[in-house]
Amino acid sequence: MQSQPHSEKHLTERAGYFEVSGAHLYTVLHEVHDPVARLLLVGPFASERHNTYIPLVRWARYLAARNIEVLRYDYRGIGESTGVLNEMTLEDWSEDVRLLSTWLVARSPAAPLVIHGLALGAVLAGRAFDVGAGDALLLWSPPANANQALRSTLMRWVGLEQIFKFGNDRRSTADYIRELEQGTPLEVEGYQWSTKLWQESFAFNLPQALDTEEAAELAYQRPVKITRLGKEAAPLAKGGSVGYDDLKDFTWLFAPHHNWIAEAASNFNKAEAYAAGH
Amino acid sequence: MLQATETRELIEVELLGVRLRGTFHRPAESAADPRTVGSGQARTAVLFLNSLALPRAASGDSAVYWAESFAKRGYPAFRFDLPGLGDSDGETSTDLLDFINAGGYAAAAAHLAKEVVARGNLSGVVVVGHCAGSVSAVFAAAACKECKGLILMDPYFHLPVAKRPEVREKLSHWVRRSGVGNTLSNIYDRAKHLRLVLGGASLPGNANGALLSKWKTVASAGLPILMFKAPGIKASGSKPRLGEFDYIQHVLKLAGRKSRVVVKTIDKADHSFANREARDAVREEIENWLATNFPLTDPEVSAQPTPQSSIKYNQSSPTKTMRPPSNQDCALEGR
Repeated sequence: MQSQPHSEKHLTERAGYFEVSGAHLYTVLHEVHDPVARLLLVGPFASERHNTYIPLVRWARYLAARNIEVLRYDYRGIGESTGVLNEMTLEDWSEDVRLLSTWLVARSPAAPLVIHGLALGAVLAGRAFDVGAGDALLLWSPPANANQALRSTLMRWVGLEQIFKFGNDRRSTADYIRELEQGTPLEVEGYQWSTKLWQESFAFNLPQALDTEEAAELAYQRPVKITRLGKEAAPLAKGGSVGYDDLKDFTWLFAPHHNWIAEAASNFNKAEAYAAGH
Repeated sequence: MLQATETRELIEVELLGVRLRGTFHRPAESAADPRTVGSGQARTAVLFLNSLALPRAASGDSAVYWAESFAKRGYPAFRFDLPGLGDSDGETSTDLLDFINAGGYAAAAAHLAKEVVARGNLSGVVVVGHCAGSVSAVFAAAACKECKGLILMDPYFHLPVAKRPEVREKLSHWVRRSGVGNTLSNIYDRAKHLRLVLGGASLPGNANGALLSKWKTVASAGLPILMFKAPGIKASGSKPRLGEFDYIQHVLKLAGRKSRVVVKTIDKADHSFANREARDAVREEIENWLATNFPLTDPEVSAQPTPQSSIKYNQSSPTKTMRPPSNQDCALEGR
């Protein structure tokens, strides 16, 4: 389902702060006059935010140019949002998703809401969808739980750390995890991880119904798409060089996912119209 | 959605039809007219540029931390995304590094400096750049009189490649992990050192001549410059790894006797300067340097953030009103 894109130059992007308990979430709304759908973009965690920033901004612009309004934001305590990271819990970040979903749904005119999450953001998006938020769900590389997302970031960081260390100075991922589990906060790429966050992350699961698209659609009766991104999608997947791979052309990834969103929105609108007629 | 919090405000600047987005951190103060402090002198602001392709928060959100800190000290602080980066409009391509190294962001950064100064009725800006951002900062300083100082974090003066061949990456990986590889690496470093000694003081072939020329212009004119170095791979202090050309020594010579360049090595830092110890050390050094070179003369300047109502960065009248106002995975590391 293709629509003629608007020139991205003429799209309106509004940055703002959304007030939550004890903090302000930094948001950017890629505003569309009469959208066919709205999408809440739940990005990855902490340092992954930086590596994926340009591709995700481009994704938001790509969708807005095709009449899909997008809201992207920073987690509480990260990036441009205010708040103290090591005081935040996964539950706080879940609340961010719920509050922003509600805000998007209240916008006029009404349009179906798609929640889209990447990595840890996929867990947050999936959990919000599980409790009723959103009319469709798009997940990129969802881990089974938050710990898998943290572990993957940690392993990447340890790999980089080892570049600077020789012989006995080198420490393994297991060494860092042991310290974290013993109660010492760990600083990963400038972000302080608390022991509490690490411990909570094990039980912070992606809902089981989101194991496969088929199981999810059966359980939720709403469209769900799950894509595991490969190395070619770096830095949206692990790998790649900062300042190089994040500037690549991602149309090959964006186009089919836009088509899926447009189709899900179209089906939703038809069903709504049918229900209204009866 | 709000446009401002108690201490921050979201701002936009237009450059040739491209909208640049940024964050303004309001300075702490007690004076009735926030454009000035007690002496009637306009303030100097701090302007952060992107480090390569990173968004304006920088690695570990370190730029947010520094901007907040300087604003608390009374210095208005601005963080902007350059065209095609972060939230700003515009396009970038995979030759971003070459573009930056050729001074591609000089015009945009200089325009930002001018806009910030004009809108806020400020006396000037100190431009802060990290890694590739420091290249843009030097080019910008040479292009605008509003730039009154530079803070350069792990600057480089050569022309690195954005993406090394895979074979080279694998070789480096092996060298780091293997004892034999490490020994061979040391022998290679010594051979390079010998070649360097025999070659005299001549610049390496991949030196960034255009950047060095701009550096010479601004540094020899006496612009206050604070430079930070993080220890590199197999290197200590501000000295380079054995066999590598000492660019710091070279640029200090180029700057000449009248220059006001200060070089500080942050031992606990990695290339990103984002870890707690490093960012605190950097903050302290910058605060002292600002106090020496751009003093705020009002003794009553508060350490508390200004209430939202007292300073407004007025977006609706873009002409002049600021009313009472390592990343370790950086493409350049180890090159």
